[in-house]
Amino acid sequence: MEFLLNPYYLQMAMFIIINAILGLSMYLTMSTGQLSLGAAGFMSIGAYVSALLTMKAGLPLYLAVPIGGAAACLLAAVIGLPTTRLRGIYLAIATLGFGEVVRVVILNLKVTNGALGLSGIPSMSIMMSKAFIAMGLGDGLGPLSVRQLGNLSVIVILALLLVGLILFSVRLNNSRLGRAFAAIKADEYAAEVSGIDTRYYKLLAFFMGAFVAGIAGGLAAHITFFIGPKDFAYHRAVEILLFAVLGGSDTVWGPLVGSFILTLLPEALRFATEYRSMIYGAILVLMMAFRPQGLISEETIRYWRTKLLAKKAVQQEEISGGTN
Amino acid sequence: MFWQQMVNGITLGSTYSLIALGYTLIFGVLNIVNMAHGEIFMFGAFVGLMIAVHANVGLAGALLAAMATGAVLGYLMEVLALRPLRRRKVSELAPLISTIGVSIFLESLALRLFGAEAQSFPPVSSTQVFDLAGVKISMVQIIILAISCGLMLVLRFWLEKTKLGKSIRATSENIETANLLGIDTKKIIVLTVMLASALGGGAGVLVGLAFNAIEPTMGITMGFKGLAVLILGGLGNITGAMVGGLLLGVAEIFSVAYGVSSYRDAVAFGMIILLLFLRPEGLFGSKEQQGGR
Repeated sequence: MEFLLNPYYLQMAMFIIINAILGLSMYLTMSTGQLSLGAAGFMSIGAYVSALLTMKAGLPLYLAVPIGGAAACLLAAVIGLPTTRLRGIYLAIATLGFGEVVRVVILNLKVTNGALGLSGIPSMSIMMSKAFIAMGLGDGLGPLSVRQLGNLSVIVILALLLVGLILFSVRLNNSRLGRAFAAIKADEYAAEVSGIDTRYYKLLAFFMGAFVAGIAGGLAAHITFFIGPKDFAYHRAVEILLFAVLGGSDTVWGPLVGSFILTLLPEALRFATEYRSMIYGAILVLMMAFRPQGLISEETIRYWRTKLLAKKAVQQEEISGGTN
Repeated sequence: MFWQQMVNGITLGSTYSLIALGYTLIFGVLNIVNMAHGEIFMFGAFVGLMIAVHANVGLAGALLAAMATGAVLGYLMEVLALRPLRRRKVSELAPLISTIGVSIFLESLALRLFGAEAQSFPPVSSTQVFDLAGVKISMVQIIILAISCGLMLVLRFWLEKTKLGKSIRATSENIETANLLGIDTKKIIVLTVMLASALGGGAGVLVGLAFNAIEPTMGITMGFKGLAVLILGGLGNITGAMVGGLLLGVAEIFSVAYGVSSYRDAVAFGMIILLLFLRPEGLFGSKEQQGGR
């Protein structure tokens, strides 16, 4: 127990959840067949806006993070409005360029502290620890110290948020909105002819992705204590893209699995840190060549579902056969 | 002052045009955006530098070596990352993702091979400066302008007049029809990718000369500028790429000269966002969407 609860593993768990949220943000935009490479840019907006709000304006976290997401959404409008009229490739390039512009602006603004980045961002786990101390749990609870309690409660909060977002996405799939998204993804022209306002839905999906990425950025900032412009450069954008490409963007589960693997993989491959980008690059090329739908596609899920159901049926039969 | 900035801008812009031409050629024929073009360009610059430092063959040798490197990398990319995607029906974004993979692979390879520090280009030409009615123009600038304009003119002529050039244009117009007319489109695709990458490699040497410093990460920054020019000029439009590159170069130099130097790298995308609002098909693009869908 003590072994599992060391700060490193707890931090890892937080990063896995943050990355899973980023994977979901990719999924939301990709569910209309659009490719946004701006997740890193939107994340940085969310991170900087919310960090500045908590540091300079003293806003509470539960307000600062959504405001950061909204700010990301606002900037998404600037790119989304002209590009969603056009072919998908425009959005991909414009969002990529947007990430670069955001990086340059952050590097040069005074309020963001330029290349040095912002440090001393109030940490969520310390906030929670303080709350526990105020509740009279300064000595910890049972075997848990107050620091572990703080960290664990942050993980619980993040996990709840993630579960909420997953439920939202699953629910979305079965709604009118989700069906419109799926129709646009399958064939944009056919969808338009069928009376779907493709531009509106494409914009909406793009905004949702940007908002979720902004939220993830705000949360990440309040976990890591420090953010700098380098954290959100091209490589980060590619890494987030990889979540969706490796896992697959057809279902909600794909990007989640992708982000899980890709957060743990660098830890497992510590000896090959120098080759990390090369491996990532190779994965992108190989996935596109051999399995463009990603590790988890709709067929994968259907296959496992039928297999599991069959197994269950066999078991039930055995049980009922035994009693007879 | 104004004309001085103009000359600097056009010199810089001519290298952007050369980079953007690589994007445009590939987009024209294959209908994909080659995200690895910036890294091929960067490799060209480094090989050119190595050759210029160690082999003592002068500028021409460095340029040829860089172009050859570009062509080889282009060939490898075509075979390994693009061809497998053509065999099956994939979305138009799949090649984009695949070439992003190539781009970060090449970038980290360059970091391993050449190191992360910026390296300065050896003085391969004289540092003479000419004075034309108050406008100073250096020998390096003249060389850059001459080579990039020369390459563009040759390309223009070659595409316009030769049989191969015509086949490339036919293929970019409509690949099925070109195939029916007896053009070996497979060969044309390989040729186009190699040609575009060779131009990128050559541009690497010129940018190395212009900035006098090259580093592995410049593939990303310059690649972005090439992309901006691609949109600025209209996807797949060769004239657009040439003029768009010059425009971007001039706009950048003026933004540096009149105050906002640290935002230089943001100018390109500021321009395209504005353009996408006003004229999404690009400055020289036609209103019709290419190939229906």
